[in-house]
Amino acid sequence: MAQVKSARFKQASEQAVHDPKLQHALAHVMDHFTNARAAAIAADFPEESWESMRERAASIKAHTVERLDYYLDLLDRSVRRNGGHVHFADNAAQASQIVLDIAKANNVKTVIKSKSMVSEEMGINQILEKNHIEPVETDLGEYIIQLAGETPFHIIAPAMHKSRKDVSELFERWLNTAPTEDITRLCVIARDALREKFAIADMGISGANFVVAETGTVCIVTNEGNGRMTTSAPRIHVAIAGMEKILPAIEDLALFLRLLPRSATGQRITSYNAFISGPRNPSDEDGPEEFHLILVDNGRLNLLRDEVLRESLQCIRCGACLNHCPVYRNVGGHAYGWVYSGPIGAIVTPPMTGMEAAKDLPYASTLCGACRDVCPVKIDIPRLLLHLRHQAAEGDGKHGPVVGRLERAFIGRWRKAMRNRQAMESGARLARLFQGPFARGGRIRRVPLPLVGNWTKSRDLPALARKSFVASWQERQARRVKGGEAR
Amino acid sequence: MPEMPAEHPNKAAFLARVREALGRTEPILHTPDHAPLKSNQARQEEKVRTVLARVAARRPALCDRLADVAARASWNVHRAATPDRAAEVVADIADGLKARHVVRTAEDVFTRVDVDGALRREGISPAILAAGRARRRSELKPMAFRADLGIVGVAYAIAETASCAVIQRKGVARLASLAPPVLAVVVEADQVLESLDDFFALMRLEHQKGRSHWAPYFNFISGPSRTADIEQTLTIGVHGPGKVHMVLVG
Repeated sequence: MAQVKSARFKQASEQAVHDPKLQHALAHVMDHFTNARAAAIAADFPEESWESMRERAASIKAHTVERLDYYLDLLDRSVRRNGGHVHFADNAAQASQIVLDIAKANNVKTVIKSKSMVSEEMGINQILEKNHIEPVETDLGEYIIQLAGETPFHIIAPAMHKSRKDVSELFERWLNTAPTEDITRLCVIARDALREKFAIADMGISGANFVVAETGTVCIVTNEGNGRMTTSAPRIHVAIAGMEKILPAIEDLALFLRLLPRSATGQRITSYNAFISGPRNPSDEDGPEEFHLILVDNGRLNLLRDEVLRESLQCIRCGACLNHCPVYRNVGGHAYGWVYSGPIGAIVTPPMTGMEAAKDLPYASTLCGACRDVCPVKIDIPRLLLHLRHQAAEGDGKHGPVVGRLERAFIGRWRKAMRNRQAMESGARLARLFQGPFARGGRIRRVPLPLVGNWTKSRDLPALARKSFVASWQERQARRVKGGEAR
Repeated sequence: MPEMPAEHPNKAAFLARVREALGRTEPILHTPDHAPLKSNQARQEEKVRTVLARVAARRPALCDRLADVAARASWNVHRAATPDRAAEVVADIADGLKARHVVRTAEDVFTRVDVDGALRREGISPAILAAGRARRRSELKPMAFRADLGIVGVAYAIAETASCAVIQRKGVARLASLAPPVLAVVVEADQVLESLDDFFALMRLEHQKGRSHWAPYFNFISGPSRTADIEQTLTIGVHGPGKVHMVLVG
């Protein structure tokens, strides 16, 4: 499985915020996406009808997820009836092994890939390379980050953080081409390099935007044509899909093909949609002779099991929640540390990879709700984030709490001390001694020490008075008595 | 008909775990209550008849809408009153490109729209991408990759999205519409549908009719190949055709 670096979220997001190049790219691209989305929806639909489309989509996805076992079975039978193979993989390692087995059985040397987020979960490119099979990403953005040795920065704009100069340098280094800042020229370079691969590749790996259970149809949405190329030119086509990608019937696609492109890139429809239900018929002119569909769990059961988090399996991976999130717009995709970023990444990463490493992600949100307002399948993202925060702090029934352990220990001690006169007084004496250097004007604003440093960064405490009330009272009484005697 | 591949050994356990996660112990045995699954073949036929009657009644308006949406989606739209005029338009496109290698698919439309004749008058002889035409399948790929222009017919064109639906079958090579840098699509007026819903209703019926009707591959072409992956700058013609022509006949 791809490495999980989510434990570094705080450091990585701080670095991102102070990276001027990244900030420039984010500001530019995010506004472009949000404006395009708003314009595309307004051009065709009054607000109420867009809203009712979202409601219908949410209810279709919820219906399907609630009956996932039924639809997986229907899908399996449909694809096999069309002559395709269906594989069920519990985890990333199993899915990768299935791909390797197919490749080895067919003596595959070169694999071309169109975009697949599940294949990112698997880290399939490294695994293929280790087995002496050359993987080539064909989506231009994915190709660029493959050359750079990076992971996608954004779910639909994987190389948005790269400038034309960066791309030119990558092509110079890997393809021996002359430097250029002409974007059209850069596209031609990539086209030519990838054409060679399309011509020789024996196997194409694609993702799946939707998989239709009744007809056994994988639907792929692309603009470049690489999805069609990957699923048409090689002898073997392997589609990899998360098990939640199912829609019941082919007529459901009409609605989802209206929602996805508008939410993602602000297009009425993308340039290409391919609908693949199996290998080619013997009489067909071209197309793969073998078709495989790999359905992957890889932690999705953890989402399915939790009745609140289950809603996140409705996601159609449009990226709108990323584009509208004030946190993503500042820290970018890499800070989240795994395959999925932004609000939806903050939800699915902890249950899929383990709460301990990803515990900061549910807190990477202001809970402003912009994500919920734009989600085409109406996932209540803030509610799910709060649910995860609760699990992080209180434990999820199976695992104990993973955040606030120090606070919890401190509060425990505090409670004990407050119930015991002597302990309280000696504690207070100690505190008075140590607060000396930090208290200013009756407040402790900052304690630049380990452990408490972060805590006091965003909190001011009232300093303890130089003397406790009881001590002052006793002194006062003593003075009175003395005075009384004198009188 | 090919043999049905075997069930994957992990399927039963996989489905059992999914069921358990959903808090159920028994599988669902009846088709769930989801409207598009409930319509049997007779009802679907009825639905498709209604769709076809509606689009027939609105044909001129739908053709105008298709042309309008297509133009806004970066298609070069050509309206041709007659099949002969359409063939000339296609030949003009080839001539304008100084095309040397032209490929086309073998759809019915080309028995009415004689693009071969029109191209020959320009001194171009199109290659037909079909294995039946004394060509081996292995030659199709290099031919498609070498071509300057691809000419294809469609099964349907969808006015809502200016999508040309190409359905794979004998005579319809996928690469003809994908590999060449320029594409010309010939659409006849009676192929125009109003919406995505219309198209998928028709396709569901094909599926219900059985395997000999159901195509394992179909696709929409809804504009030129494009990307914005470098600096969010729109660039045309990455892996597919950068220039697309829609010749609408009638």
